[in-house]
Amino acid sequence: MKFSKVAVAAAVGAAMIAGSAQAQSVKIGNVVELTGGGATVGNNWKNAVVMAFEEINAAGGILGKTVELTNYDTQTNAQNSRAMVQKALDDGSYVILGPIYSSSTKVNMILTQRAEIPQIVGSEAPFITTSGNPYVFRTSFGAAQSMPKLAAYLKDGVKASSVGVIWVNDDFGKGGRDTVITELKKRGISIAVDLSTEVGQADFASDVIKLKNSGSDAVFAYLHEEESARLLKEIKKQGLRQPIVGETTLMNQKVIDLAGDAANGAKGHVGLSADAPVPAVRAFAKKFEAKYGNKPDHNGIKGYVAAYTVKYVTEKMGKFDSKAFARTLHGLTISPKDEPGILMEVTWDDKGDVDRQSFLVEVVGGKQKIIEVLPKLGN
Amino acid sequence: MRPMTIAGLAVLGLLIVLPFGLKGYGIYILSLWIVYSIAAMGLNLTLGYAGQVSLAQAAFLGIGAYTTALLMKAGYPFFVGFGLSAGICFGVGLILGYPALRVQHHFLAFVTLGFNALVWLVFRNEEWLTGGTYGLMGFSRPSFFGVSTNNPVVFYFFSLALFLLLAFVLWWIVRSPWGRAFQALRENPIRANSLGVDVRRMTLLAFAIGSAYGGMAGSLFAPLVEFIDPQSFMLDTSLMLLLMVIVGGSGHFFGPILGALLVILLPEWLRFTEGLYLIIYASLVIVLLAVCPSGLLGLYERTAAAVRARSSDRRESAGGSAP
Repeated sequence: MKFSKVAVAAAVGAAMIAGSAQAQSVKIGNVVELTGGGATVGNNWKNAVVMAFEEINAAGGILGKTVELTNYDTQTNAQNSRAMVQKALDDGSYVILGPIYSSSTKVNMILTQRAEIPQIVGSEAPFITTSGNPYVFRTSFGAAQSMPKLAAYLKDGVKASSVGVIWVNDDFGKGGRDTVITELKKRGISIAVDLSTEVGQADFASDVIKLKNSGSDAVFAYLHEEESARLLKEIKKQGLRQPIVGETTLMNQKVIDLAGDAANGAKGHVGLSADAPVPAVRAFAKKFEAKYGNKPDHNGIKGYVAAYTVKYVTEKMGKFDSKAFARTLHGLTISPKDEPGILMEVTWDDKGDVDRQSFLVEVVGGKQKIIEVLPKLGN
Repeated sequence: MRPMTIAGLAVLGLLIVLPFGLKGYGIYILSLWIVYSIAAMGLNLTLGYAGQVSLAQAAFLGIGAYTTALLMKAGYPFFVGFGLSAGICFGVGLILGYPALRVQHHFLAFVTLGFNALVWLVFRNEEWLTGGTYGLMGFSRPSFFGVSTNNPVVFYFFSLALFLLLAFVLWWIVRSPWGRAFQALRENPIRANSLGVDVRRMTLLAFAIGSAYGGMAGSLFAPLVEFIDPQSFMLDTSLMLLLMVIVGGSGHFFGPILGALLVILLPEWLRFTEGLYLIIYASLVIVLLAVCPSGLLGLYERTAAAVRARSSDRRESAGGSAP
C-alpha cells in the first residue's frame, strides 16, 4: 500500500515536471538538406535558423516559451524528406521550416497541409504556391515573381534581342526555364538556344560551344550552385563574350567562392543578398560569418527570416495556434520596425508568395555589387 | 511445431501489433520497408537464385509506379494498375532479358544499368505522359469495400497482406521445379544444361518474374508516397535494392526482407549520431560485407554450423572418453 502511494506520487510528480517542461517550450521542426547534393544550401539555412532561435531563446523565447528546435536531414532526397516531415509532425512541431529543394517540398507539403501545420519553405519553383495549399509559405521569390523582373532587365538593361537559355533539368530549373521563356517572348526577345543540363553535371564544354555558336546577345543560366560554378569556369575557358545573366543562384556567394575569377562579370537579379545595401542584412551577415566562419548566402537569409516570422506571427496572435498562424500570415506585412529579425520589409499574399525589395547585381572582384535596387512589386 | 515456424509466427504477430504502437512516421517507414522488400525479393530471384546481376530493378519499380499512378488518375481501380504493372514488367523483362541475357555477370550489370538510365530518361522527358520532372500527383489511395486506405495503418495492413501473398507465391516458385532449375543454373550452368535444364529459358523466366515483382512493388509505392517523380527511380535506387539483397544474404528466402529492414531502418536508428550517421552506416555495411560476403543470413548459417560442429565434436570426445 505504502509502495503504491509512493509510486502514484512519483508518477504525478513526473507528469507535472513533464507537463511544466512542455509548457515552457515549443517544438519547431527544421527539415532541410544537411547531406547529399543540397548540403551547401541546406547547411546555410540550418545554421541561420539555429542562430536565430538561439537569439530568440536568449531574449526570452516566444511568448515566454523556449524554442526547442530539431533538425531533420532530408539527405536531398524527396522520399526521405517526406518521411522526415512526417517525423517532425509526429514529434509535435508547431511550425515546420524547410526544405529548400522544390522537388522535396512538392512531396512533403501534402503532409503539413493534411495536418494543418504551417510550413515555411525555401523553395522557389512556381507550383509550390499555385497548388492551392493554404499552409505553405515561401521565404523568397518564386520564379513567377523574379523572372518578370529578370526579363525586364534583359530587355532594358542588357538590351538583348535574343537570349541563349541554359537550365538544370529538375523541378527548380524547369519551373524557372518555363517562366523565363514566357516572359522573354512576351517582351519580344527570341530564344537562340534552349539547353537542358543535368543535376550534378561536371562537363559543360559542349553546352558552352552551343551557347557560343548560337549568336545570342546574352546567356541566361539557371542552375544549382555547384553546376553554376562549373559552367562559369567553362565559359571563361572558352572565352564566351556574351553577358552571363542569372537569377539568384548564379551570383550566390558559394558560386563566387567555387568559380573564383570566372564568376566576375556574372550579373542578374537577386531576391536576397548578404551584400544588399541594407544595414540589417549586413549586420546579420557579419554575425553569421563570426559564428560559422563563412559568409551566408541567400538561403541563410531565408532561414533567418523564417525563424523570425514564426516569432512575430505567434506574438501577434498572442497564442500558439498552428491553424491561426497560417491564416494570420496570409496578407501580412512585417516591417523591420516591428521585428528587426525580419531584416527587410516583406509581405505575404493569399497564396503564400512573398513580396519585398530585390536587387540587380553584378559580380565584381569576387563580390556581389548592387547595381540597382528594385522596389516591391506591390508598390 | 518447428522452431522456424514459431519464429515466423512470432514475426508475423509482431508485424500485426507493431503499427498500433507507432506514430505516422514509424508506420510510413514500415510500409516503405514492405514495398522495398517486395522489389528486393524479386531481385533476389534474379540474383540469388539465378545468379544474374541486375541493376534495372528501380526501372521496373518505376514502370509499376507510373502505370498504376496513370491508371488511377484515369479512374481505374487499383488492382487494374497492379495487375497491369506486373504484366508490363514481366513483358519488358522478357524483351530486355532476351538480348541482355546473352551476356552474364558484370556485362549484364552494364546492360541493365543502361536500361535503367533509359527508362529514367523516358520518365523525365516524356512530359505529356509522365509529367516530366514535375512528376505525378493527385491520385488517391485505393478503397476496398468502402474502407479507404487513406489511414496509414489501413494502408500498412493492405501492403502487408499483398506482401504476404507475394512472398507465399515466391516461396512456392522457389520450391517448384522452376526454382530448383534456377538454383541449378546458378551453381553450375554447364551441369544444369547437361541435365536437360534449358539455361536460356530458365534465366529469362527468373529475370521476368523478378522484374514483375519490381513492378508490383512500384504499384504499391505510388499510393504509399502519393507522389512520384523520375528521381525516385534512378540508378541509386537500383543499387540500394542490390545492397538489400546482398546485405541480407542473396539466395536466402528471407535475405532481401532482412536486408531491406537493415538498409531502411539502420540509418533511422543511427540518426541520433547526427552528422556522423551516414559515415557509421557506410562503415557498418563495408565491415559486414568484408567479414561475411554472404550477408546476414550467411553469417547466421555459418555461426549455426560452427556451433553445431563444436557441440557434435564435444559429444564425440565425451563419447570417446567413456569407458
